[in-house]
Amino acid sequence: METRPLGGTGHDSSVMTFGAIALNWLEQEGANQLVEHVLDYGVNHFDVAPTYGDAELKLGPKLRQHREEIFLGCKTQERTYEGAWRKLDRSLNRLGVDTIDLYQVHGLEYDEELDAITGDDGALAAFREAKEQGLIDHIGLTSHGQPDLILDALERIDDLESVMFPLNPVVAGKDDDEYDYEAVLARADERDVGTLGIKAFAGGSWPPTDELPEADRPFANWYRPVTAPDEIRERFDFAAAQGLTSVVSAGDPKLVTMILEAAADYDGMDEAAQRSLMERVRHDDSPVPEQLHH
Amino acid sequence: MDVPRTVATALEDQPVAGTRCLEAGAGAGNATAGLLANGAARVYAVTDDRDHARTTRRRVGGGNGGGDDGDRLAVLEADLRAVPLPDESVEFVTAHGLCNVLDPASLSAVAEELSRVAAPGARLVVDDYDPVPDGAAIGELFAVENAASELARGRPALTFYPSSFLRRFFAGHGWEFERERTLLEPVPWTESHVAAHADLAAETAAEHPGEAGDALAATARRLEGEIGSESVGRMYSLAFRLPG
Repeated sequence: METRPLGGTGHDSSVMTFGAIALNWLEQEGANQLVEHVLDYGVNHFDVAPTYGDAELKLGPKLRQHREEIFLGCKTQERTYEGAWRKLDRSLNRLGVDTIDLYQVHGLEYDEELDAITGDDGALAAFREAKEQGLIDHIGLTSHGQPDLILDALERIDDLESVMFPLNPVVAGKDDDEYDYEAVLARADERDVGTLGIKAFAGGSWPPTDELPEADRPFANWYRPVTAPDEIRERFDFAAAQGLTSVVSAGDPKLVTMILEAAADYDGMDEAAQRSLMERVRHDDSPVPEQLHH
Repeated sequence: MDVPRTVATALEDQPVAGTRCLEAGAGAGNATAGLLANGAARVYAVTDDRDHARTTRRRVGGGNGGGDDGDRLAVLEADLRAVPLPDESVEFVTAHGLCNVLDPASLSAVAEELSRVAAPGARLVVDDYDPVPDGAAIGELFAVENAASELARGRPALTFYPSSFLRRFFAGHGWEFERERTLLEPVPWTESHVAAHADLAAETAAEHPGEAGDALAATARRLEGEIGSESVGRMYSLAFRLPG
């Protein structure tokens, strides 16, 4: 599988990152098998979080067995110094490892949170201490929030080495600033910060729960994913072709093999085909009916 | 509104800012939106279709000519074979997805008009589709649409001109060819496109009452269901410049 430099970390990440939340939906034996399966394809970057049910615990055994083959990303939603230290200790314990390669501020959404994590008593102070103590190697940030907020974070956090954010043909086709994650990608590249793409496989929202109760959803994802092999492939190709360091796999284990196949076969996507995909999802999503042309 | 990537890509290497523009065949106002977004001083969006005029005003002009771009936009309901603008009055012309709805006779007449209203040094961007490849399912629907139009109106609804044809054709009208690029490959004919073409085929067939019209309308409906969506063919962009 193709690898790309993760910013200035010195690590070359596989073009697919394994979103280890998928392990949460499996029994331990199945989780072990999935990790072996993912490694067989050449994936070397894993991403997990304490909020993913018991994914950390289920990743643990195979992670310890293959520790040298896996660049491990983990994250915390804590915004304070104390909270971040507590969660880091907990994750190290649950994963059963001595170090985490990339520790990320998880799900930054509001300006106040950016103020909080960068303050004297903020989470990043704990990250930096942990880095000095050798418990983590690199500092990252993840966000589904506004691109402006991520751009601010890139300005304000000098030792940020990776950012994780949504990128897919739906958001790429929208012009408004609130969807301009391409600007984040460009700025991160300028600053030699690694870029990890999420929601590459999002097809749309789930129907309201009175139409489709959560328990009746056929996939574990937060969003309704694309599920046909051809769609998975073009979504992967699109995300990888935007220049992300790595595309994070979808959170449902039923989709992982299709994404691995797409990642293993990735060999670029020409621009006319990228526009073709953006145009198709734009029409699927369009409030303007009855267009004969593109 | 979001400017479609097709339009943004066709215009990205073009000096639109500050020019007086004509969108020939406004459709849903896609190229008009792109021209305004790229800083056009004024856009005349010309269409002979009242619904298209209304759609363009609503989507791009922000209502009845009001909104942010309202003062730079004039939507004109007119036949492109008689554009209601003076000679040499515009500096930029777009024909985005226009030529395929013009049969050869209309195409000739429209090209005359576009050349007449264009000032010396004006630019022309023509975006259209190569002929649909043999064996494409969507080709059957276009064939039904054309058969219905031939029966009802005596001319085809759709003519897909190869890029090489339009390149030489507009050169023959005095436009110097500057570049060609591929906008979409494959072209995503989505369910909404297929439904729009099936609707048009059925409506046109209904203009020719009797067995043949009914059969064509029924075939259009059947094909709509069978095709669903299909990605096939190529959409291209040609850019020209008038000497001067």
